[in-house]
Amino acid sequence: MNELERALVALGRELAVPDAPALAPRVLQALEPPRPSTSRRVRLGLALAVVLVAALLAALAIPDARSALLRFFHIGAARIEVVDELPTVVPEPPELDLETALGERVSLAQARRRAGFDLLELDERPDRVYLGPRGTVWFLYGRPDAVRLLVAQTPQLRVDEPFILKKLAGAGVHVESTRVRGNPAYFLSGEPHELILIDEHGIPVQETARLAQDVLLWEEDGRTYRLEGDLTLDEALDIANSLR
Amino acid sequence: MEDRPPSDAALAERARRGDEHAFAELVRAYQAIAFRTAYLLTGSAADAEEATQTGFVKAWKALPRFRPGAEFRPWLLRIVANEAHNRRRSGKRREALGLRAAAEVASGGAVPSPEALALEDEQRRELLAAVNRLDDRDRDVLACRYFLELSEEETAEVLGVRRGTVKSRTARALERLRGEVES
Repeated sequence: MNELERALVALGRELAVPDAPALAPRVLQALEPPRPSTSRRVRLGLALAVVLVAALLAALAIPDARSALLRFFHIGAARIEVVDELPTVVPEPPELDLETALGERVSLAQARRRAGFDLLELDERPDRVYLGPRGTVWFLYGRPDAVRLLVAQTPQLRVDEPFILKKLAGAGVHVESTRVRGNPAYFLSGEPHELILIDEHGIPVQETARLAQDVLLWEEDGRTYRLEGDLTLDEALDIANSLR
Repeated sequence: MEDRPPSDAALAERARRGDEHAFAELVRAYQAIAFRTAYLLTGSAADAEEATQTGFVKAWKALPRFRPGAEFRPWLLRIVANEAHNRRRSGKRREALGLRAAAEVASGGAVPSPEALALEDEQRRELLAAVNRLDDRDRDVLACRYFLELSEEETAEVLGVRRGTVKSRTARALERLRGEVES
């Protein structure tokens, strides 16, 4: 390489080139359905399940807990405050017992020991703690029949970005992209919905949203976190950001 | 033993079979170089963004034609470069490239004197002005070879010409650039 060529390489490294935008979410939204394949058939089946579940839950006429909402999240201090009259979210149909779905009830200390990773916690201790399938640790605030908030932490599950951006949005779920501590996050509201996460082998895992309510979902340090409750996006983000 | 991330070839093969997650990983891995390529070819951030996004979408559609085992990066950059060229043709004249502000330019090792910096800065500006005066064909080949630091083979793929053509075009472009700098 001669002097002029070296000068050009040096020049190239000093050119004013704007930072590349994060294109993956937009590109994924613009993709046409993939060609028929086994994975597509599986996904189509799951998408169909979403629509069916959405229709079923909508038919059950879940009361709108937001109408009774009091400000039980103290946003400024980023911690949960309990007030006299708790807003509650009705869990999934009573026959699907919430506690059974969450897993084995344990103490917070047991959960910390058995989780296999450092749990993120809020200032307020959870009212109940469960160890569920796939190593998920659930914090329940409130009572199983009157839940204020669920926090789930699952190791080795990834967020199925295309599923959320395309299939859920297509099934009437309102999807907002946001960030939690710099990590891509999704706030799902609107129609009740299923969640699809991806396990460590790349296999889709069907995960029911336990409360059929708003969900904030994100990945952080190789783990998937989600908050479920009757939350606005801002409230969910404040809670998420106060987990430590 | 630490798990190594999947290779481009593995991701491209999974994407070719319809795996959108694998494709999303490729988008994240290559959006910076793809956008830089489009920007250097169009001179416009808005055009570059559009060309890059459209390029990725077209790459997804074209994946069934992607030859297993081939290099993904030049294949993708060619699609993005085509999009950038389309926008350049349909748009107005390409804007001139500029330099980053002096404060942004990272300097490693010994700190040069202000006089030396001023001289280098002046030389860089003159060289860039000369590059900006070249026609599109010369500028494209120089951008690929020196600003994107692509190999001759990759440049050939990106510009859609033979390797020998890259060699001869580069030599002629450098000759014209030298003439511009000296004029």
